[in-house]
Amino acid sequence: MHELILIFRTWLASHLVWVGCLCFPFPAGLQGAHLTPQDRDSGIELIQNHCLDCHSGRNAEGELDLSTLIDQRPFVRQQETWRNISLRIALGDMPPRDTEVLTKTEKDEFADWYQNEIEDFDYATVRHPGYEPVRRLTHVEYQNTIRDLFKIDSIDISKFSPDLSGQSGFANSSNTLFLQTGLLEKYAQSAELIVSQIFSTEAEPPFRAAREKLLSAGDEQANPRDRADAILTKFSNRAFRRPITEKERSDLISVFHSSFSEGATFNEAIQKSLTAALIMPQFLFKLESAAVGTEPRQIDDFELASRLSYFLWASMPDNQLLRLASSGELSNPEVLNQQIERMLRNSRARSLGSIFAAEWLGFDDVGIRRRQDPIDNPWCTETLMEAMRSESALFFYSLIRDNQPIHRLVDARYTYLNEELARHYGIRGIEGPKMRPVRLKTQKRGGILTHASVLSVTAFPDRTSPVIRGHWVLDRLLGTPPPDPPPDVSEISDVVLERDDLSFRQKVQLHSQTPRCSACHQEMDPIGFSLENYDNFGRYRTRLFGEAIDADGALPNGRRFSGARGLRDVIISERKQDLTRQVARKMLTYALGRQLEYFDEAAVREIIESTRNDGDRFQTLVKEIIQSEPFMFKQAYQGELQ
Amino acid sequence: MKTTSRISRRTLLKGAGVALGLPCLDIMEVQLAQADPIAGMHRGSQKNRIAYLYFPNGAAQGSWQPEETSADGSLQKLNRWMSPLESVKQHLLVTHNLWTPRGNGHGAGTATWLTDGGYNERKIQVAGRSADQIVAERLKDQTVLPSLELSIKGEGHFSGCLPRNSISWRDAGTPLTRETEPRAVFDRMFRTGDGTAIDRSVVDMVLDHARQIKRSGSIEDRRKIDDYLESVRGIEKRMDFAEQQTQQALGNGLVTDTLTRPAPGIPSNHQTYVRLMLDLIVLAFWADATRVCTFMLDHGQSNRYFDFIPGCKGTWHALSHYRDISGRTEDDDGKTSWDTIESKRNMYNRVTRWHHAQFAYLIKKLHGIREADGRSLLETSTLCYGSSISDGHRHGEEDLPVILAGYGGGAITPGRYFKPRKATSMSRLHLAMMQTMGVDIHRFGGEEEPINLK
Repeated sequence: MHELILIFRTWLASHLVWVGCLCFPFPAGLQGAHLTPQDRDSGIELIQNHCLDCHSGRNAEGELDLSTLIDQRPFVRQQETWRNISLRIALGDMPPRDTEVLTKTEKDEFADWYQNEIEDFDYATVRHPGYEPVRRLTHVEYQNTIRDLFKIDSIDISKFSPDLSGQSGFANSSNTLFLQTGLLEKYAQSAELIVSQIFSTEAEPPFRAAREKLLSAGDEQANPRDRADAILTKFSNRAFRRPITEKERSDLISVFHSSFSEGATFNEAIQKSLTAALIMPQFLFKLESAAVGTEPRQIDDFELASRLSYFLWASMPDNQLLRLASSGELSNPEVLNQQIERMLRNSRARSLGSIFAAEWLGFDDVGIRRRQDPIDNPWCTETLMEAMRSESALFFYSLIRDNQPIHRLVDARYTYLNEELARHYGIRGIEGPKMRPVRLKTQKRGGILTHASVLSVTAFPDRTSPVIRGHWVLDRLLGTPPPDPPPDVSEISDVVLERDDLSFRQKVQLHSQTPRCSACHQEMDPIGFSLENYDNFGRYRTRLFGEAIDADGALPNGRRFSGARGLRDVIISERKQDLTRQVARKMLTYALGRQLEYFDEAAVREIIESTRNDGDRFQTLVKEIIQSEPFMFKQAYQGELQ
Repeated sequence: MKTTSRISRRTLLKGAGVALGLPCLDIMEVQLAQADPIAGMHRGSQKNRIAYLYFPNGAAQGSWQPEETSADGSLQKLNRWMSPLESVKQHLLVTHNLWTPRGNGHGAGTATWLTDGGYNERKIQVAGRSADQIVAERLKDQTVLPSLELSIKGEGHFSGCLPRNSISWRDAGTPLTRETEPRAVFDRMFRTGDGTAIDRSVVDMVLDHARQIKRSGSIEDRRKIDDYLESVRGIEKRMDFAEQQTQQALGNGLVTDTLTRPAPGIPSNHQTYVRLMLDLIVLAFWADATRVCTFMLDHGQSNRYFDFIPGCKGTWHALSHYRDISGRTEDDDGKTSWDTIESKRNMYNRVTRWHHAQFAYLIKKLHGIREADGRSLLETSTLCYGSSISDGHRHGEEDLPVILAGYGGGAITPGRYFKPRKATSMSRLHLAMMQTMGVDIHRFGGEEEPINLK
């Protein structure tokens, strides 16, 4: 069946093998009692007896070499691989049916072993704050930092080769942020352009203001060198996000001086030093002092200021943060709390919606990957798609700003609309292009699951895909993706697809009954079908191909639900923990600028626990992440951790 | 920011009326066949060049073999889908039975096309430095740019996906970023650190600071700072070369003000865009700005429309799955479906053939330009053109479509069909190609025996 094949292709393509959650619901009866230590290697024995024929050595099937995997202790170091193996075994995909069949006892034993070794592992024994490696700013962070440094808003980064993303799913991941000559040249050109615009005799008002601000740091009556010193020091303290060192100071002055003494005017010589500062690694990178020793060390207040500002604002710290860092007060828990609250009220924190949530939930694809032919669909304008992205970004930001409970993400009675988007939703009384909060009277909307942005990125261009939507909910939203389809899964024949006597839903169901496919589809499909009242661009509908839409469904555990509201209720009553865990993991990933590792698991569990104790609220979550060990501490990098 | 006049002073292409606007190099063949652009700059040792041209989505089974070869393997007639290459077949080495034993498909296959070995998604890691970068490392002191990494700007899904956009790796964990804008490529070759602000003293100063940061950093940090140091050195080197080139140019009276930069932005016509990028490769080789170039004709799972080719509809990746004509797969646009497998496969083949035409364009351009010793650029070049997937529908990993062109300075005897009986690792081809570039390398991707290109 195409639905499955295409999901399979997506998976193959994106290698979304990992899996945020360690609590995938196993088919009932596979979870057993905990084992005693002497039983522990039963899992390894099973692997040795049944899997190594194909999965070992350099040419292992699927490039999965289990012969080396079983030697890597503790097993949690490869937790994602083990999770996939356990899912495959539980579902009966592996070993392949035509070679070996595991008995139920063997499968149960393996499930027990997995539970014991991976899920119930004592993660405190491997905890480590990790190490934030040096990374350059992302292009958006660079743009924002320049904006806030000069209070100007005109940096063009369209020539920068796009930031690519890897497995963390976020562009700010240190392991994908590379810097090569081509980009450094663009930084250099950009620096020269900004500085020359600021110092141009015909500068626009904002640039002129920036120049006056810069130059006002020095006393015009003082000798040029002292004046330059004052200007450059004040500037660099902000540009480098910490007090500059004596060497930095004297080097920047000597750039000024050598130019000035060769006959450049004061302003020309200052321009040269400023341009130099803007291509120094201290500006372009997030630099922290290296951790030494074997103990975790708390980061200093300036490092904290930058971690905070790039997490919450995707930009540099402001003067207040730098002042508090300078006086050593920022890490004071009370002050820190106040600052977090202040920062979240600031409009720069919208980046949590427009970058973090957009990359996590994928709605930044609207208008890029998902759009309609403008000639056939004149309603599908750039401004509508922009409003769709904004709705979700502003909504997500409001959840944090207003300290809403996490489940409000799927269960809200308000959203953000402008006239065009309201019309798209069939809501009257909203006028003008400005996005604003709107209390919803209709039951058809409310929560991220009913946002047109999400509904369109989880559809085909011309029709909905219940399977993709179901998968999106399980994977992106809840962090519990089903495993990849079996590699040799067959497409459903065209004979079935062409049958006019079956509704679309019946065709999908026919496929999903295939024994090997049903375990996952039983869970995915009802979720997707419950959103069938929303078309491929998120418009509400009640009929499809002349028939009333059937948005009823049942989960594998028998629970019945109907429509988007039913899905919302199911998530709140049965999957709230998964939702919290997923938000926490994703946000921690983004906050740290690196993918999570097995040694973060203890911190993740603590963050969730503390958040739960305070009513599972968004701001609490943000605060807990900031106060967590991986955010506040670092430890010398040890290659063997990974 | 500097103006064009400054650029052209720094630019040395000898040539009455060479206008590098659009179309970039059309008149070069005719008027400049005799002129060495930078006469006297590099007499003596032979300058071999190497280029890898990657295209995604594979090529349909049966579209890639010559129709007729003679007993000794020389190419008599190519397949109908290879027709644009017919007139240059004497310069081609068509291969059969090459494959990459590990690292296949749209993601891993792209990332490992020039590295062999597998791809670790989580660590963003390939087996090691890619073949092009091994050559670049060897030649880095001889040209202003060690290598040029070019790509056609991606469209749609996966445009931001790292493995699908990375074929060149400086080391196992460092993919090279790629230029997509023609003007930016031109500027990298010919614009010097032209402003007044960033000069040698500034470069020295920032290098000094970067080194200091590196000394105090952890091991992992050092790698990132190395990226920075390497980048600054790139800028520094350009300054060296610029001065040298300017002096030579003035001394030889070769300065011309007729060279113009490509317009900013991405040309909207796809063929114009691709040919402009190919022109820039020719220019890079001709001006000796670099001798190593990689060009991704699209990202590893391109969903570009090729509607401008008569008789084609739907996106490239969708077409490559030609056995599914429903129009309902992940990549279909929802508007296109096909009547028969045959007709869809033909569209897929037309897209392949269109790319052949662009490759033929490059071959002809290189063939049309002669250096001081009378040899054409093609004679000193080795071009490797191909994909990391064989048949697109099967996601095949065996018998990859790969064609070589050029003479490698005499190391290659083209005009024939290279058809080993057994599946042969691409690594053996990489090994052979690197050796033609003078790299002293005898093992790559676990292979030790280069294939015989003679």
